[in-house]
Amino acid sequence: MTNCENVRERLTLYLDNELQGDERALVEAHVESCDSCASFVEKELTFLNAIRTSGPLHVASPELKAKVSEIVGGAKEPVVRERSRRLKWMLPVAAALLVLLLPVVVWRIVRDGDHPENEAPSAFALKAAESHLKHIRGQLPLEITSSRPEEISEWFENKVNFHVKLPSYQETSGQEILYKLEGGRLVNFQNDYAAYVSYHMKDRPISLVITSELLAKPSGGEEIASRGLMFHYNAIDGLKVITWSDRGLTYALVSDLEERGHESCIVCHQGTKDQDFIEPLKRH
Amino acid sequence: METFVSNSGFAATMLEHLDALSGYAMTLTRDRTEAEDLVQETYLRAVKAANQPAPQENPKAWLFVIMRNTWLNVMRHKQHGVQIFDDGTAAAIASDVTSNPHVVYLRKLEQELVREAIASLPVPHREIIVLRDIEGFSYHEIATVLNCPAGTVMSRLGRARGKLRDALSARQKVHRRIG
Repeated sequence: MTNCENVRERLTLYLDNELQGDERALVEAHVESCDSCASFVEKELTFLNAIRTSGPLHVASPELKAKVSEIVGGAKEPVVRERSRRLKWMLPVAAALLVLLLPVVVWRIVRDGDHPENEAPSAFALKAAESHLKHIRGQLPLEITSSRPEEISEWFENKVNFHVKLPSYQETSGQEILYKLEGGRLVNFQNDYAAYVSYHMKDRPISLVITSELLAKPSGGEEIASRGLMFHYNAIDGLKVITWSDRGLTYALVSDLEERGHESCIVCHQGTKDQDFIEPLKRH
Repeated sequence: METFVSNSGFAATMLEHLDALSGYAMTLTRDRTEAEDLVQETYLRAVKAANQPAPQENPKAWLFVIMRNTWLNVMRHKQHGVQIFDDGTAAAIASDVTSNPHVVYLRKLEQELVREAIASLPVPHREIIVLRDIEGFSYHEIATVLNCPAGTVMSRLGRARGKLRDALSARQKVHRRIG
């Protein structure tokens, strides 16, 4: 499949991400070497991107959302006939997490026994947890690999509709290096791109996902106020997810660190001056 | 048989797709009141079905299937017919992702043009564009939602995109004249 005629028949499938493996590689190789097909692909992508970035076409009214929340609020647990493929992947990870986190989980259940049930996590918190898990499983490779915050911040310029400026506290603080910046990539959220940044601390992954406050409002979970900001803490699939908004951006920090995962906050707040900021997130 | 998500997790997953389902309901009905009724009916059916053994690997596609089947039932009761496709020609518009406020404003205008063009399409064209290009379903998932072969999805999508190009091209010409 090397001539234009044959390739053109497959380009729609290629642009719709329906080609895999060798077939995709053959089309890609041809497009890279053929100006005519490359031009066709570019025009088609422009057209498709115009459609794909035009959503969402409709947003549910608050009244409808309230009615639907009432409907699904009364739902019982769904039951599956067989283990799904995703579940099969998750089981070894879940088993390992269960062994590691069982004491914490038991402690939380005992501790939270008197508290009313928290609201469901926001779509953004769920997206962040999903992205974190996918990255760990190797299904979400980084598009830029670097340990330099400024390099990653620059990479996001003109790719997302907001300004990303990752802190570089460690480099200037002279303190012990507790976490390592790994890289970043784009992830889809609400038909737009969000910024995904990956860190490692004590050999455990931490994900930071950033989007515009216009697309995601933190909600649900346990609310914790600190320094004029409201943090929402959720436990999702064994992960600790903290979401908050600040100056037009909404952030989600995901980790499997202890308690609320507040240790992950040091990727931006490592200094001792910030201890009063992190302190409210710790359980007392 | 085993459970795999908590009650709150199930509710969150269901609610995560509310805007997408609302958009799909508007695509099918073209009427806000009917669309909201359809959304509620879809969720009621989903909640009932959730208590029985059912494939939950792709909750979003599952909800879309329920919505479409619900709508087809409504249509059968109303004795509406099915619309016919025809072909279109090519045109392209530019889109840019940038933080420049002026360019962002222009992009918003373009998005509005695209939305208008999508809204002007007949239901079957609009439906497949929404499923593939707005909601990001794969051909296989669309085939499941529409209950048709994957090959049919590709040909329908091609015709629908052709019509959308025509509609966009016409709107861009009008905007240029006004501009």
